[in-house]
Amino acid sequence: MAEIGKVRIRVPSSIKQGDVVRVRALVIHPMEIVQRRDGKPVDKNYHFIHKVVVTYNGREILAAETTQSVSENPFFAFTFRATEPGTLKIAFLDTHGGKYEGTVDIKFS
Amino acid sequence: MRFIRLSPMLGSVALGALALGCAGAATEVPDYGNVPKWTTRAIPEARGEFRVGPDGKRAAIRYRGWTTRDFGAFRTYAYDDTRPEPPVQKAAPPPGVTGDPKKGRALFMNRAKGPCTGCHLIPGDDVWPAGSVGPDQSTIGDRKLPDAYLYQLVYDPRLVFPNTSMPPWGTVGGLKPEEIVHLVAYLQTLKGPVPPEKDPHRNPFTRAKPVGFGDNLDPTNNPAVLRAEGAEALWAAKGPAGKACADCHQGGAVKAMRGVATRYPKFVKAYGRVMAIEDFLTVHGPETTGRPFPAQSADNLNMTMHVKMASNGMPVAVETTSPEARAALARGKASFYRRVGERNHACADCHTPEKGADKFLGGRLLGDASEGFTKHFPLWRTSQSDVWDMRKRFQWCMTPLGMNMLPADSIEYAELEMYLTTFDKGKPLSVPGIRH
Repeated sequence: MAEIGKVRIRVPSSIKQGDVVRVRALVIHPMEIVQRRDGKPVDKNYHFIHKVVVTYNGREILAAETTQSVSENPFFAFTFRATEPGTLKIAFLDTHGGKYEGTVDIKFS
Repeated sequence: MRFIRLSPMLGSVALGALALGCAGAATEVPDYGNVPKWTTRAIPEARGEFRVGPDGKRAAIRYRGWTTRDFGAFRTYAYDDTRPEPPVQKAAPPPGVTGDPKKGRALFMNRAKGPCTGCHLIPGDDVWPAGSVGPDQSTIGDRKLPDAYLYQLVYDPRLVFPNTSMPPWGTVGGLKPEEIVHLVAYLQTLKGPVPPEKDPHRNPFTRAKPVGFGDNLDPTNNPAVLRAEGAEALWAAKGPAGKACADCHQGGAVKAMRGVATRYPKFVKAYGRVMAIEDFLTVHGPETTGRPFPAQSADNLNMTMHVKMASNGMPVAVETTSPEARAALARGKASFYRRVGERNHACADCHTPEKGADKFLGGRLLGDASEGFTKHFPLWRTSQSDVWDMRKRFQWCMTPLGMNMLPADSIEYAELEMYLTTFDKGKPLSVPGIRH
């Protein structure tokens, strides 16, 4: 497995002012879930991404709570309208208190 | 081209001619005299081995979910398999059997038999998906062909068309004589005019060709990229022998392995055989680090992708001029045109433009070998949710054709892969790919 917490973000190569931009983001994460046997939990050491927070130039534009595990290396896609150039920051929070951040610069062409 | 097997003595004469240098790459007569024996270093499922039950029945050990049927009666790509292809048989309809068109149609569609619809189009909205490798049979009844002629075409078409791609169904026992009588009765009922298509996708001649899966090097698009990057840790981890890949290959895989993958598969002198990166890892990995890298294991595939990614964008530069390479390519090419298995198919039947390439086999669009198959392998298969290399793709292709698969790291497969790689020469490597 690659390094935990590495965030990969993809945006279109060419963005114009006012465009609706589709962002694809992925974080390397193991997703350890509660192991059960006969309905009883045997290992409660769960560890997964439960919250995603997106900020644009410091302003929060999206906060999503997954409430439960989504996937190993979870992948999220969303859109936003790019009105000004700036920095898009995506933070992934996991159940062990880890916070993994990735940023991408949005430039107009 | 026909497959010719030489005696060892003749073979050495042919090799002498090779060493002197003939014009034209890989047009030589294949020589099987100097191919070494190779002990497989693959995971158990990929070795092509068998389990013999207490009742003496042989069950093939294959990947999970694959058929365990033993196709031992039919010839394979193994160089020591000297059996000829089944001889052409002349056949006549058995007396006393009356053909039933209804039974014939069911047989035409039966997935356990052919299905005939994999290659031939017939009318009916329940025909899904039909292929276009063979001729459209929608109006064959209008041609007023004699029953005996159609019977022969299904039983063993090679008598009429020696170069056909169609399996000799009767000769190999894929269809029983009375079943062929039913099929002929059904074909004679197919008369025009053909009703208009409700769905253009049903008809392989009007069906849209599939588009790809987007950027194969985008990790948010292709999960194989993450697996390949995961091998970075393996690259740096010391094996039981106290050494890591990184100890000898300085500067990380991206720097140390730049351009290496463009030269594979190649003849490796130290082991006396053609090897792809996967094959080389199975011996080089344990020899240096002490860590096993069996063919088809996750470590082997991930490390192969990791090494190949260092050459992404560089043109494939497989070596084709040395005597060893020419001999290997002659054998690889012979395998490509060799008819094998229960269905008596050759790779060339489906993957050359003059035959099946760029046509539909059922719902699958057949690739064209001359456009290059190997530059994006290993790849992510969306239909299997897993990373597959060329060898597993070979094994996957060959099992439904009715032949026992060879070990994933066999010399036969390596030389076939090398032959296919020559079509990619000069084209940029792009690993891992993403395909259905």
